[in-house]
Amino acid sequence: MDNLMSVSNLKKSFKDNIVLKGISFEIRRGEVLCFLGPNGAGKSTTINILTAVLGSDEGEICFKGDKISKKLRNYKQSIGIVPQDIALYEELSAERNLRFFASLYGLYGTRLDDAVEEALIFAGLQDRRKDKVKTFSGGMKRRLNIACAIAHHPELVIMDEPTVGIDPQSRNHILASIKKLQNQGMTVIYTTHYMEEVEVISSRIIIMDHGTILAEGTKESLKEDIQNEKRYIIEVEENGTIGHDEFFAVEGVKSVKIDGNTFEITSLKGIENLDRIISLLSDHGEKIRNITSEAASLETVFLKLTGRKLRD
Amino acid sequence: MRRFITIFIMDFSNLFKNPVLVGYNTVFAGLLILILGYLCGGDYADSNTAYQYYTVSLVIYGMLNGAMTASNCFMERDIKRANLRIIYSPAGGFSVYFSKMAASFFFNYILHTLLLVILCPLLHVSLGSNPVFFILLMAPVEFAAAALGIFFCCVFHCEETTSTLLSTMISLLCFLGGTFFSLDGMGSVLAFATKISPVKWLNEAFFTLSCDNNLQYFWPVFISASVLSVLLTLGCGLFFRTEDYI
Repeated sequence: MDNLMSVSNLKKSFKDNIVLKGISFEIRRGEVLCFLGPNGAGKSTTINILTAVLGSDEGEICFKGDKISKKLRNYKQSIGIVPQDIALYEELSAERNLRFFASLYGLYGTRLDDAVEEALIFAGLQDRRKDKVKTFSGGMKRRLNIACAIAHHPELVIMDEPTVGIDPQSRNHILASIKKLQNQGMTVIYTTHYMEEVEVISSRIIIMDHGTILAEGTKESLKEDIQNEKRYIIEVEENGTIGHDEFFAVEGVKSVKIDGNTFEITSLKGIENLDRIISLLSDHGEKIRNITSEAASLETVFLKLTGRKLRD
Repeated sequence: MRRFITIFIMDFSNLFKNPVLVGYNTVFAGLLILILGYLCGGDYADSNTAYQYYTVSLVIYGMLNGAMTASNCFMERDIKRANLRIIYSPAGGFSVYFSKMAASFFFNYILHTLLLVILCPLLHVSLGSNPVFFILLMAPVEFAAAALGIFFCCVFHCEETTSTLLSTMISLLCFLGGTFFSLDGMGSVLAFATKISPVKWLNEAFFTLSCDNNLQYFWPVFISASVLSVLLTLGCGLFFRTEDYI
């Protein structure tokens, strides 16, 4: 896949708050690039800069080899944006919304009619085309919000948490639609808090925190890094005197996190040491309430990189 | 240009779909004229004179309040979100603020003209021997007010702050300009303050036009309001920031 877009050394501060600390990445044609990160990671700022609504302090963004600042109009014509909030005219019908927003991209006549029809089918709202948006459910609004961004057939679609606060049925519809867009050749940038969405749709993932990129790659390659590890989460009745060092005495233990009555122990795969960990706890008089063993997942990758869960 | 017209039509129709704005510029303004004209009838030579005074002065007040219609059209919470999509589009920033300015101008101009067309025959109010001059002079004032509303939004980046500032400023200027009651004979301080209020000169222009058929102030006011409109529009270009919509 060739590069559609490249971002280099992007920096942004709001007064004394440094939000982006010089991030660089590339977007390949036809991929679904997912941005993962907790609140305050810098995802939305990155997206806002990519949409050309917000300027950066430093850095360069090139779209198809040209700086976007030099060919801004062409760039805007080539992208579709799904903002986090529902950006629709509530008093207008679904069709009128689509017609208006698509016409801003230079569509008119039969091209506009066809684009609106296609977008209505995409959103599954053909039967509700004449209804005012204010009568729609949250899921329907979200679907229309996406349809308004893709009606003009952009090359790149930027979606900022498009599934926030919707029912599972609508979420599945949206995720399937994104796959469909990818199959049609569109490139998608997608930010989310939902790990399971990333598992389903991502071609590549960028994990961000505190304005920097912590990791980048396919879900398989990211998981591979921790493939040789396993994680035990052990809950005890009451944590007494046991400390980190005693766990490190057990062969294979790589890291230990003690949070109240819960121990999170990362150990090398291939070394069977659970019985010894249990013995250690028993020797210290701990009563085990629950033991969980976790295989490598994006959640564990994220946890390893950031030291916290995505929704913390 | 096609994109600008599309946005303008959308902004214009959105204003007419807002019952509060339509009501404020028609029913409320009409009732205010009727009530104040009726209540203050005794203070004037006859009730017709009171209606004449309040129709002209409150239409001026309404024109200036057009600034708030513009700020509402530009940054009102629900519209602001949809406007974000216009910012995203290739239409560009100028189309965003200028279409709102133009839409607010036409909206206010049409409604205020309509109000005069209905009230003048009913209340025997004169707009001068040739009412066209009166209606014509309204245009740059309406536009300057709309430009002022958008300019304040661009500077303060917030509809609530803009509305508060504008309503205070307009009410104060109108009070000093003698819109609600004449301040003549209320002491030298108020007399001086009256003179520096631009509303006083607007009143002079519209009253001399409607009552005396005198065009003495027509061109000065027409040109001043037009120049102000151009300056405020240029100022919007200077202060408009797309990130205010995020």
